[in-house]
Formats: sequence, C-alpha cells, structure tokens
Amino acid sequence: MSLRSRGTHRVLAIDPASRGFGFAVMEGQKTLVDWGVKRTRSDKKAETLLKVWKLIRHYRPRMLILENGNAKGSRRCKRVRKLLTDIRAMAENKRVKTRSVSLLLVKKVFLAFRATTKHQIAQVIATQLPELAPRLPRQRKLWMPEDYRMSIFDATALALTYFYTHPARQGSVHNR
Amino acid sequence: MRTHKLPNYLLAHRKRAGLSHEEVAFLLGQQCASHVSRYERFNRAPDFHKALAFCVIFRVQIHELFCGEYQKVEQIVCDRAQRLAVRLAAQRQDALTIRKLAFLKAITPVVSDQP
Repeated sequence: MSLRSRGTHRVLAIDPASRGFGFAVMEGQKTLVDWGVKRTRSDKKAETLLKVWKLIRHYRPRMLILENGNAKGSRRCKRVRKLLTDIRAMAENKRVKTRSVSLLLVKKVFLAFRATTKHQIAQVIATQLPELAPRLPRQRKLWMPEDYRMSIFDATALALTYFYTHPARQGSVHNR
Repeated sequence: MRTHKLPNYLLAHRKRAGLSHEEVAFLLGQQCASHVSRYERFNRAPDFHKALAFCVIFRVQIHELFCGEYQKVEQIVCDRAQRLAVRLAAQRQDALTIRKLAFLKAITPVVSDQP
C-alpha cells in the first residue's frame, strides 16, 4: 500500500430537492464513496438537518459542498435557499468547512465536456463514474416532473466542480 | 490538511456491485442482513474469515477494503517495530542483530512518513 494514500480529501455534497435531498460522498474526483437520496416528509427542514448531520458524523468530510442559492443562475425557491443557509450554518457550527458552488460554475466546468443541459451533465457523470449509470433517469420531456434520482447527479456535479476547480485537492488514491 | 481514510469501504463496493444487504449476507453465509449493515456503519468489525470473504466477493485486497483499520494497525505495528529496533540497537551487534535491524528498518520508515 502506498504510503501517500494515508490521508484523503473527502467531501460531502448536498443537493436539496422538493421531497428530500440528494447526496454524494467523494474522495477525489474518481472515487465515489456513497451516494443516494434521503427522503423528508413532515418537517422537511428539521429532517434534512438531522440527516445531513448524520452523514457528516458518519463520513467526517473535509468539506461540505452546497449550491450557492443566491448566486446568479440559481433558480431555487425561497424554502430551499433558506434551507441551504441553515445547512451551512449547522455545518459551520459543527466546525465543518463549507463551500458554495454556483450553478454557473458547474455549467462552466461541464462545458468542457460539451454538456450544457442537466441531462447531458448527468450523462457525463455517469460515464466518469459508472456506478451511477444505473441511476441515470430517462431524458425528461417538458411535461414530465424531474426524476428524484436527478438530485444524486446534481450533488455529484457540485462535488466534481469542487475537485475540477481545485486540482490540488484530488487527494484520494483509494483504488477502485 | 487531509481527513483520515474510513475504517472500511464495504458500502462503496457493495453499491458499486449493485448488491443488496441480503445478497451480501447470503454470500457471507450469514442469515441476518443487519450484520452487513453494521459492518458498513462501522458499528461492528467483521471477524477474519468474514473480512476475507468480503475481499473475495468484491475482488479487492484487504488493505484497500479495510483501509482505515489497516492504517491503524500499521501505525501500531510500526511504533512497536521502532521500539524493538531501539532495544536491539542497544545490544551487542552480531550478524543476527544486524539482520534484524535491517528488517525492522524496512518497516519503520512508514512511521516517519506520517502526514
């Protein structure tokens, strides 16, 4: 085992959605440690904060990556913008560093892969991280609601944007 | 600054393989799937045979699968090796002792490379 693989730069990315949130835990841009969707039902804010805290406690990430809900290009509703602020405050209260990534930056990063739409970005992610390929939803028609699994790809896109814009932080050499 | 490796990467490998807890439990020869869940949540460590079975199932080496645990044990053993080397260095330097010291030296540099 390489001695250089002792430490790792583990990040947790959260993407709140209408019925819960998608999350992705990554160690470098090539290693997905955990991913999924957490559902919230009654008290969405309290449940989300509790579940995010459980993920932080379990994975002890170096950085929590969230979308910048107030940045240009973001079309988040008031509830989600407030929730993003609350998650950030909770994480900082627990001494976890946070990083806000704007949607424009995500689009700029994935433009290098010729992906402009959400589905194209998800397809690029599924190609780079084949374990996510079975979770890739069908392309959405205009009259269809967004598939809940899309929040996994949105969270992964946030984490990948973080790693692509900070190449020195691709810390993991955890073999696949 | 970097964070430490997780004690094990069972969850990541199971999800990558697309297997359920029940299916992994069956492969391990366990009746209860909750044991697999406990291993994944680091609430319980699998015994030696189960750990080897996980390596067979996911086709990865033990130090990759139980990375954090391996590093913890490695650190402890390296510390002991360093102490033993100091003890041997204080003894009479015959051929066998020199050979032992050379062997221990191959282990101890790991300690000095800690982040």
